[in-house]
Amino acid sequence: MFKKFFVALLFVCCATVTAHTAENDTLTMAWPVNVGPLNPHLYTPNQMFAQVMVYDSLVRYNGKDVEPALAESWKISADGKTYTFNLRKNVKFSDGTPFNSAAVAKNFEAVMANSARHAWIALVSMIDSWETPDENTFILHLKNPYSITLLELSLPRPFRILAPSGFADNEVNTSKGIKKPVGTGPWVLKETKLGEYDIFVRNENYWGHKPSFSTLKVLVLPDPNSRVVALETGKVDILIGEGSFTVENFVRLSKDNKYITEKSAPRSTNMVALNSNRNATKELAVRQAIMYAVNKEALIKYVLLNQEQIAYQLYNPTLKYCDIGLVPFEYNVKKANDILDQAGWKKSGTYRQKNGLPLELDFHYIGTNPKHKALAEAIQADLMQVGIKLNLRAEENTIFYNLQTNGNFDLIFNKTWGPPFEPGSFTASMRKPSHADYQAQSGLKEKQQIDDTISALIISTDEKDIADKYKYILTTLHNEAVYLPFSYELDMAVYKKGRIQNFKFGEMNTEFMFHEMDLGK
Amino acid sequence: MLLFIIKRLLLIIPIMLAVSFIVFAVLRMGPIDPALAYLLNSRIPPTEEAVKITRDELGLNKPFVQQYVTWLKNAAKLDFGESYTTKRSAFGDLMYYFPTTLKLAGLSMLIVILISVPLGITAAVNRGRIIDKIIKLGSFIGVSAPGFWLGFLLMYLFAVQLQILPPFGDGGPLHYIMPIFTLSFMSIAINTRLTRTSFLEHLNQRSVLYARIAGMNEAKITGKYTLKNSMLPIVTSLGMHFGELIGGAVVVETLFAWPGVGRYVVGSITNHDYPVIQCFMIIMTAIFIIVNLATDIIYAYLNPKIRYGRE
Repeated sequence: MFKKFFVALLFVCCATVTAHTAENDTLTMAWPVNVGPLNPHLYTPNQMFAQVMVYDSLVRYNGKDVEPALAESWKISADGKTYTFNLRKNVKFSDGTPFNSAAVAKNFEAVMANSARHAWIALVSMIDSWETPDENTFILHLKNPYSITLLELSLPRPFRILAPSGFADNEVNTSKGIKKPVGTGPWVLKETKLGEYDIFVRNENYWGHKPSFSTLKVLVLPDPNSRVVALETGKVDILIGEGSFTVENFVRLSKDNKYITEKSAPRSTNMVALNSNRNATKELAVRQAIMYAVNKEALIKYVLLNQEQIAYQLYNPTLKYCDIGLVPFEYNVKKANDILDQAGWKKSGTYRQKNGLPLELDFHYIGTNPKHKALAEAIQADLMQVGIKLNLRAEENTIFYNLQTNGNFDLIFNKTWGPPFEPGSFTASMRKPSHADYQAQSGLKEKQQIDDTISALIISTDEKDIADKYKYILTTLHNEAVYLPFSYELDMAVYKKGRIQNFKFGEMNTEFMFHEMDLGK
Repeated sequence: MLLFIIKRLLLIIPIMLAVSFIVFAVLRMGPIDPALAYLLNSRIPPTEEAVKITRDELGLNKPFVQQYVTWLKNAAKLDFGESYTTKRSAFGDLMYYFPTTLKLAGLSMLIVILISVPLGITAAVNRGRIIDKIIKLGSFIGVSAPGFWLGFLLMYLFAVQLQILPPFGDGGPLHYIMPIFTLSFMSIAINTRLTRTSFLEHLNQRSVLYARIAGMNEAKITGKYTLKNSMLPIVTSLGMHFGELIGGAVVVETLFAWPGVGRYVVGSITNHDYPVIQCFMIIMTAIFIIVNLATDIIYAYLNPKIRYGRE
């Protein structure tokens, strides 16, 4: 009898210990959707953070520039058209197959086989050919020099490396799908249950800092408030990533000493694009008056609850080439009024008019975005003070972006893409008519020169020349007041105190550094 | 009766065709471009070329009639196309998520019947008394409480503060309590009032008076004759409630993270995922037709005066 009891007790204890250990070896996070099939060369439904966790690229963005990843080092030819990558040796994919130049070549072939899909990355149109002189060398030949080649190689997709064993049988193109997600990154996708969860396990073959815990569980929780409840009830350990929780919840949890809240370095810039080719915003004076009339400090404090940093220029000055000493448009109602008076816009009641035309502008925002709505209302009130009537137009998401691309706006919200896309890729995109930036700039007399400078900039190989060109572009855009930047957005994360040690943010908002964190109790 | 059922079942085909055409046309008449939605979801800058390529990929550049005929041909083989977002079969995805929603809606329906009918009868037989007033107050609260508000309130109280119920997921009997209560609360309230009214109406009929005069006991009058007669409007209402419960499941599935079809379809609507929306509309049409048919059959059973298919 005692023996049986003792065995049963031992069993229960073991089970408890095992359960506890398992729990302590698993980090749980929440995400609105499943991570997808994790094809490194495709887009939705593949989630970028998961693509970054499972696959590596040749180089990694480090906040300013790039650092070695699957390529240990590289050499750029004098003409800027040939990149020779020395690949990291003894790297294995998560299934144990070797990583080598043939694998890299196979992935470049797959990306280029579907090049139309990736046409938004200029690098795709620049690639001419590649060669693999030996197992550890990969040489990329470009049609023209392209100064942001390495940055675009570091993007979450499509230039990430899938193991040849992960390709569909006898298939070079991955556009129709892959056989299995096998990469060299710190994590391996082990299991997916649709609408419920995804489970990642540690990649035992990872070449870098191996994760200190074995499992990462990603619960599918579509509602941001439910995600916070999950954190508060201990069902998830950490909330991280864009839109994971509301700012209000972040502020509330930051005051609760049971939780640690973290904020990253500034990422993308939130701004309003002013159309220099339409209605009253055609006039520089009106655009400048808007710059002076908006109280950004109040926007940050009362609308964004101090959770974003105030912005006075298009790109954060901490970014390469962007600290050029621009003079900010500080909040100054008197100056705004003076500028409008001098430009002939006279007050008639609350609002101004000139030659019988009222100073009235349309401001478009995404109707379902509460942050947009609150900001738009605050800006509307600021502009009313100087006699500018702003009509707020709530739009459906895709209609909003249609307006951005066809230029049918006076004022519209816009956002930069964050590093590593900026300043390089974002600036390059300003030349395409299907961007709010192009449309906003289209009325500037310097537009052609700006576009030509950008085209010259991206093929330049001289650092000083590149810096000078950026200075010209950014100064012109700043002085012409086509952007009203108001905040630099930050990534935010929240977790239970003591549960995670050595927390750190990645350098892109889609890079989660779980493999460098440790678990507490 | 059998002829009636066969006729009604055959009617499904033209109704489905009409619904499919209307849905197909309406989706494409709007100013919204699903190719743009796909690109935004993928964080691909929506350049003119990118939109064109995506429209080609999604088959949206073909003429409307060609798109519809192709879709119809495939739909006849239960191939409703590939979801723009998940890249899986739209029908397969919906079939994956439907059981959860049906389970949720079915259980809620059961709870609605089990609670609202006895409550309605209790209120009716105790008309004007305190118990009637309490039930009335509860019904008003139930009708006025939006699902998402109630859901969050329950979650905050029972999951966050008291920590006695799991906040989300489908893991065991305890997981069902909050979602089912949230989903069924409004229907219980409406149905309780309806049962009360219908029951009172029949309780005041002459037949009841004669039964009482004849000395029939009160329990038999209430439990057998009045109840059966007053069930007709309740059955109609329950038929409609089933649709409402499936619709209401959207909120509950999102709040309590149940992998159901409501949550999936709302995501698809936001993403302008035409294949999923079209397939869902077809399935829902079929469900509504079948539920209506079942309601009619129950009607005939409850009231022998109603005999379909006979003049």
